[in-house]
Amino acid sequence: MMSQNFSNNLLEIRDLSIDFNTDEGLVRAVDNLNLSIRPGEVMGLVGESGSGKSITAKSIMRLAPGNAIIQHPSQITLNHRDQAVNVLKLRGRDLRLVRGDAVSMIFQEPMASFAPAIRISDQIIQTMQIHLGYDKDQARRAGIELFDRVGIVDPARRFDQYVFELSGGMRQRAMIAMALSTQPKLLIADEPTTALDVTIQAQVLDLMMELREQLGMAMLFITHDLGVVSKIADNVTVMKQGKIVEAGTADQVLFQPQHSYTKRLLDALPHLENLPEAPTHKPKPLLSVKDLSISYPQAGKGRKTEHFTAVNNISLDLPEGQIIGLVGESGSGKTSLGKAMLGAAPISSGHVEYHNTKKKVKFGAGKAIKRKRLARTAQLVFQDPYSSLNPRMTVRDIIAEPLEAMKLTKSREETDARVIEVAKRCHIEVAHLRRFPHAFSGGQRQRISIARALVCNPKFIVADESVAALDVSIQAEILKLLKELKDELGLTILFISHDLSVIANLCDWVCVMKHGELVEQGTVRQIFLAPQETYTQTLIASIPLLESAENRSCGSPELLHIAERPVSSMQSEWV
Amino acid sequence: MNALLTRFGRKAKPKNDDSYYTAGQMALIKARFKRKASGVIAAWVLGTIVFMGLFAPFFSPVDPTIRGADIEYRRGAPQVVKFWDENGFSLTPFTYTYTKTRSRIDLKALAGGGLSALDALTSSGALTASSQNKYDVDRVQRRYIQFFSKGWEYSLIDLSIGNLDMDIRWDRHLLGVGQGQLHLMGTDEDGKDVLSRTLHAVWITISIAIVALVVKLIVSLFVGGVSGYFGGRVDTIMMSITEAVRVIPPIPIYLACAVALSQLDLTSVQRYFAIALVIGALDFATLGRRLRTHILTERNQDYVLAAQLCGASTWRIIWRHLIPSFSSYIIVDTLINFPYVILAETSLSFLGLGLTEPVNSLGVLLQKAQDPDIQQNMLWQFSPVAVFVVLIMAFVFVGDALRDAADPYSEKK
Amino acid sequence: MIIQFLSDTWLLWVLLSIGGLLWWSGRDSQYFNYIFHRYQLALATLLIVSAVVFSLMDVLPGDCAEKYIAYKSTQGEMITQADIQAERVRMGLDKSLPERWGRWVTNLTLRGDLGFSCAKRQSVNLALGDRFWMSFMFCIAGLVFAYLIAVPFGILSAFTINKSWTDKNPQNSKGQQLVNSAFLSLQKLLDLTLRIISYLGLALPNFLLALTIILLYVFAGEAMPTGLFSDQWSNVPWFGSHGFETGKLYDFLGHIWLPIFVIGWSATALQLQTVRALVVDESNKLYVDAARARGVDGMALWAGYPVRHSISPLFNSIGFDFMRVFNDLPIVAVVIGLTDSAALLIEALAMTNDQELAAAILFLVALVVISMNFITDAVLAVIDPRVRKSVLGN
Repeated sequence: MMSQNFSNNLLEIRDLSIDFNTDEGLVRAVDNLNLSIRPGEVMGLVGESGSGKSITAKSIMRLAPGNAIIQHPSQITLNHRDQAVNVLKLRGRDLRLVRGDAVSMIFQEPMASFAPAIRISDQIIQTMQIHLGYDKDQARRAGIELFDRVGIVDPARRFDQYVFELSGGMRQRAMIAMALSTQPKLLIADEPTTALDVTIQAQVLDLMMELREQLGMAMLFITHDLGVVSKIADNVTVMKQGKIVEAGTADQVLFQPQHSYTKRLLDALPHLENLPEAPTHKPKPLLSVKDLSISYPQAGKGRKTEHFTAVNNISLDLPEGQIIGLVGESGSGKTSLGKAMLGAAPISSGHVEYHNTKKKVKFGAGKAIKRKRLARTAQLVFQDPYSSLNPRMTVRDIIAEPLEAMKLTKSREETDARVIEVAKRCHIEVAHLRRFPHAFSGGQRQRISIARALVCNPKFIVADESVAALDVSIQAEILKLLKELKDELGLTILFISHDLSVIANLCDWVCVMKHGELVEQGTVRQIFLAPQETYTQTLIASIPLLESAENRSCGSPELLHIAERPVSSMQSEWV
Repeated sequence: MNALLTRFGRKAKPKNDDSYYTAGQMALIKARFKRKASGVIAAWVLGTIVFMGLFAPFFSPVDPTIRGADIEYRRGAPQVVKFWDENGFSLTPFTYTYTKTRSRIDLKALAGGGLSALDALTSSGALTASSQNKYDVDRVQRRYIQFFSKGWEYSLIDLSIGNLDMDIRWDRHLLGVGQGQLHLMGTDEDGKDVLSRTLHAVWITISIAIVALVVKLIVSLFVGGVSGYFGGRVDTIMMSITEAVRVIPPIPIYLACAVALSQLDLTSVQRYFAIALVIGALDFATLGRRLRTHILTERNQDYVLAAQLCGASTWRIIWRHLIPSFSSYIIVDTLINFPYVILAETSLSFLGLGLTEPVNSLGVLLQKAQDPDIQQNMLWQFSPVAVFVVLIMAFVFVGDALRDAADPYSEKK
Repeated sequence: MIIQFLSDTWLLWVLLSIGGLLWWSGRDSQYFNYIFHRYQLALATLLIVSAVVFSLMDVLPGDCAEKYIAYKSTQGEMITQADIQAERVRMGLDKSLPERWGRWVTNLTLRGDLGFSCAKRQSVNLALGDRFWMSFMFCIAGLVFAYLIAVPFGILSAFTINKSWTDKNPQNSKGQQLVNSAFLSLQKLLDLTLRIISYLGLALPNFLLALTIILLYVFAGEAMPTGLFSDQWSNVPWFGSHGFETGKLYDFLGHIWLPIFVIGWSATALQLQTVRALVVDESNKLYVDAARARGVDGMALWAGYPVRHSISPLFNSIGFDFMRVFNDLPIVAVVIGLTDSAALLIEALAMTNDQELAAAILFLVALVVISMNFITDAVLAVIDPRVRKSVLGN
């Protein structure tokens, strides 16, 4: 595959430059980009938000938004049926060549990319009728066969459902089936696994690799995650702010990176080989959770209210002065548990108790919360850096909120002094304190959020998916800040995340949750290198670690039992 | 237009300048609003009309009440302002002197009792409506227009509340003529000046709308706030009532209330406030529901939870977080609703159930347009219709532009 | 005896049996359970509406006894205050408001009796006759008119969103750019015109529009087509000695366009904006791009995706659209001289203070709106999977 003739490229992008027409004039989104994909090749296009990777993909399909201007002398050439087609000059019906005939696209959000009020079957049949000229019955049979092929159980029934009736993993499989329905030569996948849980991500990746091997189609795989790329790509291109910073074979880019940016991205991946040693003794607990259950009322059938149990009877001690990782997939109850420690979730039984506090802090079922005492002991850093800051308050007012709300300071000067102290500690410029949140990027906002949490000197901080919305390189800075704070202030941090690589890089102690129960806990070394429970093992095995070309096809040993099965017979435990 | 747009765009978001970053929500809305040319133009038009309405006595050449009626010039057509005519050029604009054509009625013959004389009189047209509009133009006797001319005394700013006496009185008017009166839009059947009446009517109509909208806001805030804050059973009951109010057409309800009001012995000022009160108080369903939804969603926002976890009291959360969060929404919604409230007032007055003569409101003036006599003989009395249409259009454009500006998603990514 | 009882209470049995049927069907069907729930809700809303309407109409001056006695006094009888009081007691007007309301609602639910109009001295049902149906048809015709214009033009207007006036794509040749620019400008111009018209719909309310049209007729020196028929045809039966009177039909059509156009005017303007906003909203969603990426284009794309998905919310608002149209009807009826129930309503409110008649008309309007909402909810839950999901769960 590697030895194919270079001039025989399936897709060739030459000097692609794209500008966005904005209120401030033209803003360059893609600058002089060169890229080529051979038939059957998988090209990984890596970059963070704003790097121009998505707009590049959309330009290939001629789906760039109205305010995007593709400048001269950009060229996108598609070699199709021994003809070189200039994609940018296509008009009218000819556009179908890149929109389905030769190229297909998978979007990040499968839920949003199917029309909600039209059956999936009708959408797929319509596509096949357009491109393959099938009649309705033919298209239907072919569609169900495709559904079977991408591992959807009971394909005939699922085929006629609406998109919201499918689960997350199944939706992405249906999306893949949709993309394959036109038998394209090139598949563009724009962050196809980012919105999925790790275990499902691993399955979808395996499916895509297998399909690619069977069908021999080329793929442009867009992602921000180098781990994912290492599993699937032959060649890798790294983009930053519209420019290519590094390109080459996967092994070159991932194992001998030249550019500092690539190195920084690689650093963010988990390094299981040098995980910290466990401390010799386990420190005293700062906080104990005893037999804690959390349930939310939910509309049941008719007039009845049912209760949905998010956390079921968990007991847990959090060691003081450590960063504790709480891992679980969506719906595992990890956020509920974290919020319960701050008294922000309905505790139906059990209690939470803080130790070594000046005044006793203990609350739970039937025991009211002393809100102010708790607020001075424990604080929260939110997941979404946008909705957690009131857009109508200045940064100074936001950070000062706890001091002013609880009247902890005697004068405005004292408040200001404390705010400035904390802001400096979190690396926020003092001059920025009079700005409003809209002036800041996600990473800076998260610093403000952290500063607010720290301003009343708490002992304990819950960080709920606090870096999930950030780019990898920004994530690293926030993680570094959290580590600093732990070391310098002796903070205890509960770090809730679905992202195992972040946990591995940051935490000392890890708890794993599934379906509201605590599955396993231990030091980071124990959990990542010697997991005891099956669920933890699957989870760890699903982490997209860097893999070189040789190991790639067989996947990690734990996943062998999945990968070795033919795709069509995959069973339903995850779909 | 494009150049204008870019200029506003630049101005709104300067680079390397801290002012954009330290601008609060209102300042941002203002900046975004300025980028929309149609909104800016409409805002100027609206501002001019409202300003002229607010200081109507100054801008009106004639007292719009019966005191200022020009008995010599009833049913008079608009007077044309000229700079020159066959008698020469003048730097100051002027109009002519108009005198009533007195058709000679042969009173003696009439007194003689001859039926034929009466017949002749009727058929001569001297008594028909259109002949009453006829005036002789004395082209020699010019009336020069004076600026800041002296006229009837009025109170420019009246802030007398209780013992505080702050009534600034003035007698100057923007336009006037030395002798007689100036009627740029003609006069009505009593000789009242249509332009002056329209200017006064604008402010009365707008002030009714303001009162109505304030009342509406208070009622809606109460309904939405109680419903959204308490939730549960209170919410269900409140919402079923608003749902019921929503399905009944409002104008007949206003009518019923107006009829009931007409039974009470109210002065025209009391009536004026009563009508505003009725319109405002019954129009809570839509805004009340929206506020409820807004409170329900905003209450679950992360920053409210953050404030709770910071130990903020309920009052502090309501005062510092919730109320500011929908203040801009309320302002926009109020502005968008202005035309509808004005329409409600005009509809009522149009049917003769809101304000009535001799009060000046746009509805009262519009109502006259129904009169066949006016339709056939006094078209100039339709000019308030044009003012009304322009006013409403200006409100709609400003409201639309402001809504786009207040919506954070309207900004291009 | 029993027959008599049943026929006296027929409406109650109808309502109960519909409810029972829905309840029965709802035992094992989630859909009918939802419909049953909506049915209960609709009845409850109607009850509140009746209370609101009834108590509001009570503020109108005068009552039935006074009017009846006043009528008698015109017949030459001597009337004292005691007579009025006695008449009040006889009519049950001395009872408290809730009691009277209770009686009204009971009569209404038992046999659809809307009460007794004192000003007209006949039962409301009789006084209304088919005049309510006339108003209903006016409103529906106005709505149909509004939809027929607003939907296609609103969609057309939505096409232009996010498009610029000129084509500046450097990939196109100069000639192409020129042709495209001309085409784009034309579209944008159309959009601008439509938007200004829709703003005018608000700024030039129905009654002013009617006045303007009247004025035009005055200028042209022609007779206004007010009412439904001209004098010549008003007393001619539809089926005369020569069979069907086509002349009457032409005359009718010559008159009917005015009320429909005037009533439909504001509704059209409002719908234009609504349709435009809905379609724009849908066309910005990812699934439209995804469909485009699959090669769906042209009409199949627009009609099949954004337009198809914005029909439901539009359909859902028919009830309130009807209410809005009826809201304008009375004032229009006054201006162009209609004789339908809206004109009756104005007469009852402003001239005769006929509480029962006014309450009945308002109640009927609310009944129509609530029924329409009920029906649209029921239909949407069947045809739109998004609604089905949100109201029924999966």
